[in-house]
Amino acid sequence: MATVAQAINREQAEDRIKRFDVHQIVQHAGLMVSFILLVLTGLPLKFSNLGISQWWVGIWGGLEVTRATHSFAAWMMAAVCLYHAGYLIYTILVLKRPFPVKIVPGLQDVFQVIEEIAYYLGIRKQKPLVDRFNWKEKFDYWAIFWGMPVMFISGFILMYPVFITSFLPGSVVPTALVAHSDEAMLALVWIVLVHVFFNHFTPSHFPINTSIFTGKVDREKYREEHALEYERMFNAGKPETEVKP
Amino acid sequence: MMKPEREPRWLTWKRLTLCAVIAFTLAVSWVALDRDGARALDENACLACHGTEGLYKTNEAGDKISLFVDEKAVNTAAHRYIDCTTCHTAAPHDVATPLTKLSLAEKCGTCHKSEYKFHLQSIHGQQLVQGNPDVATCVDCHSPEGNPHSVIRVLEYNAPAYKKNIAETCAKCHDNKALMADYGIVEKVYESFMRSFHGKAIDLGNYQIGQLDVATCTNCHGYHDVKSVNDPTSPVAGMDNLLKTCQQCHVDAGPQFVAGFLGHKEASTEHVPAAHYTEIIFRVILTTVIAFGAVVVIAAIVRFSLKRWRK
Repeated sequence: MATVAQAINREQAEDRIKRFDVHQIVQHAGLMVSFILLVLTGLPLKFSNLGISQWWVGIWGGLEVTRATHSFAAWMMAAVCLYHAGYLIYTILVLKRPFPVKIVPGLQDVFQVIEEIAYYLGIRKQKPLVDRFNWKEKFDYWAIFWGMPVMFISGFILMYPVFITSFLPGSVVPTALVAHSDEAMLALVWIVLVHVFFNHFTPSHFPINTSIFTGKVDREKYREEHALEYERMFNAGKPETEVKP
Repeated sequence: MMKPEREPRWLTWKRLTLCAVIAFTLAVSWVALDRDGARALDENACLACHGTEGLYKTNEAGDKISLFVDEKAVNTAAHRYIDCTTCHTAAPHDVATPLTKLSLAEKCGTCHKSEYKFHLQSIHGQQLVQGNPDVATCVDCHSPEGNPHSVIRVLEYNAPAYKKNIAETCAKCHDNKALMADYGIVEKVYESFMRSFHGKAIDLGNYQIGQLDVATCTNCHGYHDVKSVNDPTSPVAGMDNLLKTCQQCHVDAGPQFVAGFLGHKEASTEHVPAAHYTEIIFRVILTTVIAFGAVVVIAAIVRFSLKRWRK
């Protein structure tokens, strides 16, 4: 009991703001776990000629095991996506929350990309002021939004090629293979290059940005990284510690 | 202080017995585990002379013909318990066998009758009868060295005809661009196979036979009676034959399943154009997005490093 009280005290002392609700935390965790499993079991198939792939598949106990794991993780990822869709519908239609327009990209995001690169290159003195989501977060979200149907449909075709070709032309199978493989590489390289870099290796977040796991962000960090939203929350005479997505 | 006790005599004997037992066990296992003792049956001691490296004779035309038989290879060969005279006749020094690929195949055929019959019907065998020295015959696929004295049984993992190794064995000739050009085979059959799901599965599986339940060259093209793809009786000639071949594993496959099979050809504007254009589109997207990501990350790294360095 003492530990719980201590934790609460610490949280109050640290003065953190709630940024994500439990559904968003679970969705991100589910997506992350299934994504990692899919990469670990899918990558050796793409680079099957490398010795390390053969070694790695052996570690798993053979191709049947990696294939089963890949299928399982794929259904898990699909379930997470359905969860997210259901979550959106529920929050909008039942809880009557406003449509989450904050994640929709706009012209200001294009300017923010340019401004941010300009800041990195030393042309600007200040980083762009961000509202609820920065352009990287929006890019990640919409990349998944577009990538998920591509991956799921092409993956389903590759999982059941005999069934699919009983009513669709045969060329969908090699086409699906190309799409599945290339889209996967795109997602992997983007996640490793950009997502992991900005959430693990930037000075303000090293070694890890925990906000998506705890749902909370330090007040100072929030003011810095989501200045516009922070401004609206606390300086518009309407203080609240919970942010609706 | 305690009085030092004399060690009882029986203890010495006990230790001595223990040492003897250990020594005996080691000696027995040394003999039992020494596998070098496995030797080819050599009833007439042919290897006494023919085991000498560099032994040769000169024929009437003046060509040197090696008479050397590698004892090591023979000792582990499939036919190690068949005496030399079974193939080389009871009076090997008196017969002059024509040394051709055809005569070699004939010799194998004296025992392996049905395989020989099928082989003669194959594209390799048909060319063999016409005296073409390029084609594969028995030993080219069943011995790693193409040597009748080192034929390895198909189910041994190091056999060239073991499932895991078949594609590489075929590739010895079929991946040879110059050789294949002579026969109008322009597709890179080995590369394209290894890129396919079948090839990847063979590559990623280990040597356990249970992990090798995947199609390789011979499953679609046949083995002893392998046919040219231009031969209408080939299992891969024409959509009808191909469908039957696919159905051996993909039981419910229909004609569209076959139509979507790239075979050994790459997707192009003529061959499955959908896959070809999808590839181009994704290549453009991939390159653009990754280049953009790289620019942002590199710019950020430069900035953060400079900031730290200036501090």
